[in-house]
Amino acid sequence: MDIQFVGEHLLPGRLGQFFIILSFSSALLATLSYYFATVNNLKSPLSGEFATLSASWKRIGRIAYMLNLVAIVGIGSCLFYIIYNHLFEYHYAWAHSSKTLPVYYIISSFWEGQEGSFWLWTFWQGVLGFVILKRGKSWENSVMTTLMLSQTFLASMLLGVEVFGTRVGSSPFILLRNAIEAPIFARPDYLSLVADGNGLNPLLQNYWMVIHPPTLFMGFASMIIPFAYAIGGLWERRYTEWIKPALPWALYAVMVLGTGIIMGSFWAYEALNFGGFWAWDPVENASVIPWLTLIAGVHVLIAYKNSGHSYFTATFLVFISFILVLYASFLTRSGILGETSVHAFTDLGMFWHLILYTLTFVALGVFMMVSRWKEMPITKKDEETYSREFWLFIGSLVLTIACVQILATTSVPVFNAIFGTKIAPPPNVIEHYNKWQVPFFVIIAIISAFSQFLKYKKTDSRKFFISLSVSLVAAIFITAAVVYITGVYTNAMYMVLTYAAVFSILANGRILGDALKGKWKLAGSAVAHIGFALLLVGALVAAATQKTVSVNTTGIGFGDEFAKSNDPKENIILYKDEPVKMNRYMVTYKGDSTEGPNTYYRVNYKVIDEKTGKVKENFDLFPNAQQNAKMKQIIASPDTRHYLFNDIYTHVSSVPLKEETHTPHEGHSDEENYEKPLTHEVNVGDTIRYRQGFIVVKSLNRSAQIQNIPVASGDIALGMTLEVNEGDKKFTAEPIYLLKSGTPYDFGKNVEEAGLKVRFTNIYPDKDKLELMVYQKPKAEKDWIVLKAIEFPFINLFWGGTIIMVIGFLLSIFRRNKEIKTS
Amino acid sequence: MKKSSIVGIIIIAIAICVIISTYADSSTYGTFTDAKTTDTELHVVGQLNKKKELVYNPQQDANYFAFYMKDNKGLECKVVFNGSKPQDFERSEQIVLTGKMVGNEFHASKILMKCPSKYTKDQIEVKEVSAAPVQTS
Repeated sequence: MDIQFVGEHLLPGRLGQFFIILSFSSALLATLSYYFATVNNLKSPLSGEFATLSASWKRIGRIAYMLNLVAIVGIGSCLFYIIYNHLFEYHYAWAHSSKTLPVYYIISSFWEGQEGSFWLWTFWQGVLGFVILKRGKSWENSVMTTLMLSQTFLASMLLGVEVFGTRVGSSPFILLRNAIEAPIFARPDYLSLVADGNGLNPLLQNYWMVIHPPTLFMGFASMIIPFAYAIGGLWERRYTEWIKPALPWALYAVMVLGTGIIMGSFWAYEALNFGGFWAWDPVENASVIPWLTLIAGVHVLIAYKNSGHSYFTATFLVFISFILVLYASFLTRSGILGETSVHAFTDLGMFWHLILYTLTFVALGVFMMVSRWKEMPITKKDEETYSREFWLFIGSLVLTIACVQILATTSVPVFNAIFGTKIAPPPNVIEHYNKWQVPFFVIIAIISAFSQFLKYKKTDSRKFFISLSVSLVAAIFITAAVVYITGVYTNAMYMVLTYAAVFSILANGRILGDALKGKWKLAGSAVAHIGFALLLVGALVAAATQKTVSVNTTGIGFGDEFAKSNDPKENIILYKDEPVKMNRYMVTYKGDSTEGPNTYYRVNYKVIDEKTGKVKENFDLFPNAQQNAKMKQIIASPDTRHYLFNDIYTHVSSVPLKEETHTPHEGHSDEENYEKPLTHEVNVGDTIRYRQGFIVVKSLNRSAQIQNIPVASGDIALGMTLEVNEGDKKFTAEPIYLLKSGTPYDFGKNVEEAGLKVRFTNIYPDKDKLELMVYQKPKAEKDWIVLKAIEFPFINLFWGGTIIMVIGFLLSIFRRNKEIKTS
Repeated sequence: MKKSSIVGIIIIAIAICVIISTYADSSTYGTFTDAKTTDTELHVVGQLNKKKELVYNPQQDANYFAFYMKDNKGLECKVVFNGSKPQDFERSEQIVLTGKMVGNEFHASKILMKCPSKYTKDQIEVKEVSAAPVQTS
């Protein structure tokens, strides 16, 4: 008998599932229709039977495409409705959101899971398809065939239906009771037991996570368009025509994907406590590789357009870039990265599905290349050495080689899976990559500088060297200054890279200067190159000279043997309100505050002028951690102080775990938590010192009241009003002394914030003194945090460089777009 | 022959060299027994011995963390990590250490662990921590 479940909302899920099926079938129909539209158009392009047939197929294709877009929007709306209304009967909502999440993080939980991010991808591909539909003109049929084929694959990832016993895709609309087996699902009212969802991973609760995934996936989605143009160009034998319309698209893809990657880097810098903006993590590499290959592709496309050289290389790079996007999604989503990556997804049963997706597009590219090989316009002429096209070609190849290196190391787990080997990644990954990438980028930066001074076809070599020599020489002096100021002189290779980047900035700066005088054409490339060179210098300086400021100088350690081989020690312990000198900062942990699930640790930084003793800088940082006492874990997020020339980046690496509830147990007196008390004989107006501050006896309250105990006429109830001063904080407490029917009692007071307990224990009328006992919490019980702080010098060069580079891409898009219109 | 073809061939040659030396850089997965016989850093996969004590006293030294791990062959060894205790460590199901033997202790420069994630119970979350870089200058 079926159980009638209470309280489930099945409609949005059913509707969503319907839209998924619709999106899959409409995408398939659109692919076929556009295919036949292209094929028939090829048979007779202008008029006649085939032309009419082609037109009707195109009409069907367009309708199917529109249906597909509607279905995609429908899927998104249903899923958002489910998450927004906390319908935890759906696994996706349960697994990725919770009731306490603010609305903007509900948006991030939408794409936390694989299904949501697939949706994002298919949505952007759909939106870009609309642009092709409106403005693609004669390219619509062939480009849309490829695009809709990709849409079909993406839709199939969301299907979640069983075909011949295997589940194809993973639907976001699966019900919790179908996704997980648990005894509670035997109860009809199980939903009332599911109080809340799992919530969003705290690391993703960052504003960058609201906009980074959409941007990144828009970048991924736009990579297909140059690919589709290249396929169309070969398919329809319009070998040279495709390059012009594809070029702005390629630039667009590079710009958006680049922005997305940088946003991810911002997120890593601001939210992850890895201590940096780039960690060469396989997931990061996977998205940067296609970006670099398409940048190389853009350069050879331009070379071909202007000189007729490098046709094959241009087509190949455009092909491989999209294939690498698919490979990236295979790496991150199939679970193959396993133990090498920090933030890869695990397998949702799509391993072979993803391989099929990738291989289909590999096959498509290879087939087109092979079948049109003899007709491709590959020149037999030799390039001039002093020509721009030759160096564009060389630069692109070097960039590709750099990618091969990143790809080779990132793919280690894939090789292990294929060949059954057990190779481990290099022990020091960052060093490994830097060793290879620094020389490559030296060459790339230098080529990006001087090739701007070369002309297509042939350049007068004498003029070329004269115009370059100024920049070459000036760069030496500037490099010397930069190296000196930033302190990267410890490594020869770093100095060479700095020189290359400075040279590139100067050379491209001259081009930009010419551009401002009216030669606008090269402005985009000059700006992009300057941005790229700045990015290189910024990344290099920040990474090479980053300095841990939280060095443990106390010398306390576990044995000298350990300390000898493992210096420097990078974490420092801070006790509450005890200032510690850390580099040029006086750092004090001031306490914590809890806001929602986050605990914020207030850490005060002061810079004190040693001579005058004046406080030059004074600021608080609030690194936070999400505590979960049951799980015995914290998830820490850093806080950063931004200066123009450097950043101070702080995160807690360990904190005392808060107990869920603190119930004093029987048989233990409260005083066991304190050190041995100190007894003072005081009078009104006296001041008593204790470890962290002082107590002032303010007054004596002769009409003190004690809860639940009536004070009879013969009894004495005295309250001692105390003011506890700790740092700049003041607390008041009033311990009470009671003499009831001749028996003395006292009622102590706790001052939790100061870690004190005070008791008014006796009166000595003869001495005119009052007895005050002060209990202090032992030092170790005081609040502490373990802190790590890193200084990143000149990090703004990196961020500034990335922004300038993106502006450069934008300018180039305008220029190349104009070229289509004017031709 | 065309100049670009020559360059192409050179580039391919470099690419092959790059790949080969990339693998020369790579490390191996091994056991504590392997670690005792070599001086180079290697990766050891194993499980935390949850019955034995985890030593981490930030009040004494915020940069010393020690624990006992069993490698996949079942051999147990004391592991010392130069850094703070990774949060969540107790719940780890599997640990991948990078480091080498010093005496009878394995000194880890990096710990990568797999924990059942609170956030997605049917998925596995991977976390990574690195120790302070050993200064060579």
